[in-house]
Amino acid sequence: MIADSKAIEKQETVRRAHSWGRIGAIARNTFREAVRDRVLYNLVLFVLLLTGAAIFIGELSGGQERKVIVDLGLSAMLLFGVFIAIFVGVGLVYKEIERRTIYAIFSKPVGRGEFLVGKYLGLCLTLLVNVAVMGVGLSLALLYVGRGWDPLIVTIWPAVLLLYLELMILTAVALLFSSFSSPALSALLTFFVFIIGHFSADLKTFAASLGSTASRWLFAGLYYLLPNFSHYSMITAAAHGQAPPASFVIGAAVYAVVYIAVVLATATIIFSRRNFK
Amino acid sequence: MTGTPPSRSELTKTTSLVLVVVLGLLSAVATVRWLDARRAPADLNVEDEKLYLSGTAIRRMSMAFNGLAADWYWMRSLQYVGRKILQRPENVELDDLQALNLKALAPLLDTATTLDPQFMEPYEYAAVVLPAVDVQEAIRITRKGIEANPNAWRLYQHLGYIYWQQHDYQAAGETYGRGASLPGAPVWMQAMKAKMETEGGSRSTARAIYKQMFEESADTEVKEMARRRLMQLDSLDERDVLRKLFESFREKLGHCPTSWKEFEPVLKNLRVPLDPSGAPFDPSGVAYVLKNESCEVELDPNSGVPAK
Repeated sequence: MIADSKAIEKQETVRRAHSWGRIGAIARNTFREAVRDRVLYNLVLFVLLLTGAAIFIGELSGGQERKVIVDLGLSAMLLFGVFIAIFVGVGLVYKEIERRTIYAIFSKPVGRGEFLVGKYLGLCLTLLVNVAVMGVGLSLALLYVGRGWDPLIVTIWPAVLLLYLELMILTAVALLFSSFSSPALSALLTFFVFIIGHFSADLKTFAASLGSTASRWLFAGLYYLLPNFSHYSMITAAAHGQAPPASFVIGAAVYAVVYIAVVLATATIIFSRRNFK
Repeated sequence: MTGTPPSRSELTKTTSLVLVVVLGLLSAVATVRWLDARRAPADLNVEDEKLYLSGTAIRRMSMAFNGLAADWYWMRSLQYVGRKILQRPENVELDDLQALNLKALAPLLDTATTLDPQFMEPYEYAAVVLPAVDVQEAIRITRKGIEANPNAWRLYQHLGYIYWQQHDYQAAGETYGRGASLPGAPVWMQAMKAKMETEGGSRSTARAIYKQMFEESADTEVKEMARRRLMQLDSLDERDVLRKLFESFREKLGHCPTSWKEFEPVLKNLRVPLDPSGAPFDPSGVAYVLKNESCEVELDPNSGVPAK
């Protein structure tokens, strides 16, 4: 009996290791596909935007070019990231179905959950490269504007990290919607979640102000159900040279991991029940 | 990309299309220039567009981009004032823009500070420019800033400056005093409190205020305004000295100097730089004008020193 259970345990360990190998392969392919689809070309636009801003904004901002550069750079980073997360995210599953490559993938020993997680991590890697390069670009723009070292170069990075966590959550949401609906509808729904996620603090206030208990519960439920993106908006604080405390960043990271796990698990449940015949 | 050279008809087609693009663009530019030249000048009152949304509504709608939106409203405020200044043929001082009808400035600055309450420059601009337009709005915006940033001593400096401009030296002194008690406030804030209480309307107080403004403002326009006000204070002191010298001259010789040449020996004794006619220079480097009939010294119309 002991020998049997040890053998089963060993088999399970090997299966898990293989599972991560398969997820890694799908993630690498997704990243390569994104690069082939010229997703990272937005970096060129970002660099042009920052260069233009660094050169011309001094004339317009009344000596506030450092603040404007950080606001502009981090906002552009979020905006470009949101577009990538939504428009690439909603096509991740759909494209495979449309091109019928999904049959080839599932004819191999690849689970549907592994496929989704692999796709998700591939896009997260694309976003990570995107955000990291943009962060470096922003730091260089600050070096240029400040004619040397600027403390803002350090304080922008916690904001960049939080911004990346927000994009990770949004990518998971896009993937969830794309697991059961068309790309157009998925994009629209993900965009709504992005907007509502930034208004979630208002949802809480609204829930507290309602008279009816049922409505109060409904809106309070929505507040906890929808992602709370207001915790990831540190752009303005970063522009003033304020970095959030480490405990806050860790808390936000934990929330992101938990939320992503919930969303991906839901997506896997839905996707597992889809019939591709 | 077949590798075969393009046929003659294909080349003609491409050349024609390029020509259409180039000529089309040139025509578009010419048409726009023609339209611009014939456009009726905009009604200044209509041009002062209202903000249809309150700052709070814009803040909600801007989501994570509130900082960028604040920058946009800040730059719009600067452009708005700059455009109005450019429309005036005569020189106007940044702290005396009453004649420009800047009715959209207060809502613009209010929106910028609602979107980003920690953005200090709009408060400074409100303190310097707004009092000439709407002093109550200037005070309200600065107080709003103090509520949002209770530890920012600089906002107390701005509020004190507004009260000082209104000759309310007691309120100015109290405000400087409250700012001085904050952690990190510089020592001169306490000195300003004392100055306001004892000699609020004096030139030395004005000099202290503009000196701090010149040294500490990040805004180039505010800095320039402070520099010009300091020049004006220097010029007022210089003209007082010159008047006293004229008086001694008249006591000695029985008449006012008829020309700067006649007065040159007195000025040379003071080692003051003089122009070829013997006239001393004002702080902007333009020679003073002598009015011998009234025994007065005045600024040249081309002087860079503010006349009022």
